[in-house]
Amino acid sequence: MNQLEAFFLKHYIKTPRRNIFKFSFVFMVLGIALSVGILSAGLNLFQGYESNLKKLLLDSFAHINISPIYRDSIDEYSSDEILSIIFQKDGVSSALPLLQSQLMAQVGGKVRAANLMGFKDNANSYYRDYISQGKQEIASGEIIVGHYLAEELALSIGDNLTLMYPRLDQISAFGLHSVTGSFEIVGIYRCGYYENDRSIVICDIDEARDLLNLPIGYTKIHVKLDNPDKAPYYGRDLAQELNNRFTVIPWNYYAESLLRLVKMEKWLIFILFSFLVLIAGINVISAVGTIILDKTDEIAILHTLGAKPKSIKRLFAYRVGIVAVIAVIIGQIFGLLLSWLVEKQGIYKLKGDVYFIDTLTFELSFTNLLVVFFTSTVLIFLCIMIPLKQIQKMQVMDIVRRNY
Amino acid sequence: MILKASNIYKSYKDSDQVIEVLKGASLEVNSGDLICITGKSGCGKSTMLYILGLLDAPDAGELEIAGKIIDSRSNHAHEFRNRDLGFVFQFHYLIEDLTARDNVMLPLLILGKSESQAKKRADELLDYLGLSHRLNRFPNQLSGGEQQRVSLARALANDPKLVLADEPTGNLDPAHSSEVWGMIRNLNKELNQSFVIVTHDHEAAGQANKVFELSEGVLRQTG
Repeated sequence: MNQLEAFFLKHYIKTPRRNIFKFSFVFMVLGIALSVGILSAGLNLFQGYESNLKKLLLDSFAHINISPIYRDSIDEYSSDEILSIIFQKDGVSSALPLLQSQLMAQVGGKVRAANLMGFKDNANSYYRDYISQGKQEIASGEIIVGHYLAEELALSIGDNLTLMYPRLDQISAFGLHSVTGSFEIVGIYRCGYYENDRSIVICDIDEARDLLNLPIGYTKIHVKLDNPDKAPYYGRDLAQELNNRFTVIPWNYYAESLLRLVKMEKWLIFILFSFLVLIAGINVISAVGTIILDKTDEIAILHTLGAKPKSIKRLFAYRVGIVAVIAVIIGQIFGLLLSWLVEKQGIYKLKGDVYFIDTLTFELSFTNLLVVFFTSTVLIFLCIMIPLKQIQKMQVMDIVRRNY
Repeated sequence: MILKASNIYKSYKDSDQVIEVLKGASLEVNSGDLICITGKSGCGKSTMLYILGLLDAPDAGELEIAGKIIDSRSNHAHEFRNRDLGFVFQFHYLIEDLTARDNVMLPLLILGKSESQAKKRADELLDYLGLSHRLNRFPNQLSGGEQQRVSLARALANDPKLVLADEPTGNLDPAHSSEVWGMIRNLNKELNQSFVIVTHDHEAAGQANKVFELSEGVLRQTG
């Protein structure tokens, strides 16, 4: 930057009323701010969705699932052995043996598939964080039901629900024999992850044993880690230490592809919305073209005084550039406001059965802010440079003569 | 010798017609010269001035500034215009968003002088031209005569070898016109500043020490 450019840049910043906040820039700023705002809001909401989904997946699912390979259940002895191996490791926050199986929930004529869980130690179970109504403790004959499952079956706290477990090993001429049990609903479970909320039923482990006909042992051990991203490493170590006698599955196996898809969709939205900034850029081309026409005398005199066309071009680029950067920042603030409004509005809700979660939240990410800022600024600057090419083609003589 | 233009030819195309404006015009400017070029409207006076000022390129002929042959299309033309030449036009061509002082600072900043050096020189020149009380005024806050004096100060900012003026008083009333001519004479006498001035005002041209008339594309000394 030479002395002339530095002088003008300082002048533009020092006297913004004369140089920056001008009517000719209003529509250019509006266009940029709107497009950047929509781009930012889109990215903020998708970031929120991605983080929310990941958080829900990791909070409401086990980070590592240990299940038997050769048997139906893990016996008490093996369970203690596994737990002692798990708890020797640093970074394990909890490990809970449980009974888990698919069965049917029935009320009157309505039947729904359900996912029964009975934890060995209810007091330390992670489901307790998601009880939205009723109590966390479960006594004999009591049950906690997922929010959407209760809604679909038109049930609320105090109602009774029948669970039916079909015994595939007891098929007779009279059909399939199933074990049934009736429970009183004492709590509603709602973690926000739709698949869980529409299927989960949690009961006392002894009653789960009766229903599933598993008098001893557990079907799974759920492990929670302090850092869920390290689940694949822990999983590999555990599988080796357990001599591959059990299936050890980290959460990434069943959920990472979903999270990757969401991430990819986020960047796809970013690319698509970037075209909005490009459209605003067309408005910038027209605005800069008008400014150049308006400032031909200024260009002519600077040229006459010996300024090089490149330098004159840069003076215009700085001036419009400052306006564009301000517009991008305004757009990012607008985007933040828009994201907040979308989060707070109660009119539109996500369809949980399609999007896994039913709430729209936004998350402000510094990386996203930078990406939006740089992408928008670069796109706008490219658009600024197009009309500035005219400056090089201008004939000073024509401009001076025109005024005679 | 400051500037020498030899056998300058220039023609323009107007529809299908080729208009030959300059047909071998020559001019030599020495240090301390106050030269006026007169002629009828449209005879090519301004074209000659722009060629001398490296703002336009001749079709043929040679231009020498301070002993160097210069091509106005070359990349060095900018440097010569900035360092060795000063310009004053009929309209002041001051940048509206800048103060009188800032406008005078421009050639110095283009030359690469620091802002403080440029400011000091601008203040000196504006003081010399009687505008020390108008330093921070914007062009629209100055009278026509003051605007043209600021424009003159800007032309003198880099202490050029030659100032080229195209009808410098053409837009001023008689009082301001004689004020500007007085300034030009003083600068010529006191600072030995050379001027080439294009004017159609024969009376004003009489104040020059050399007068040329451009007629039919050729410059002839008439006084």
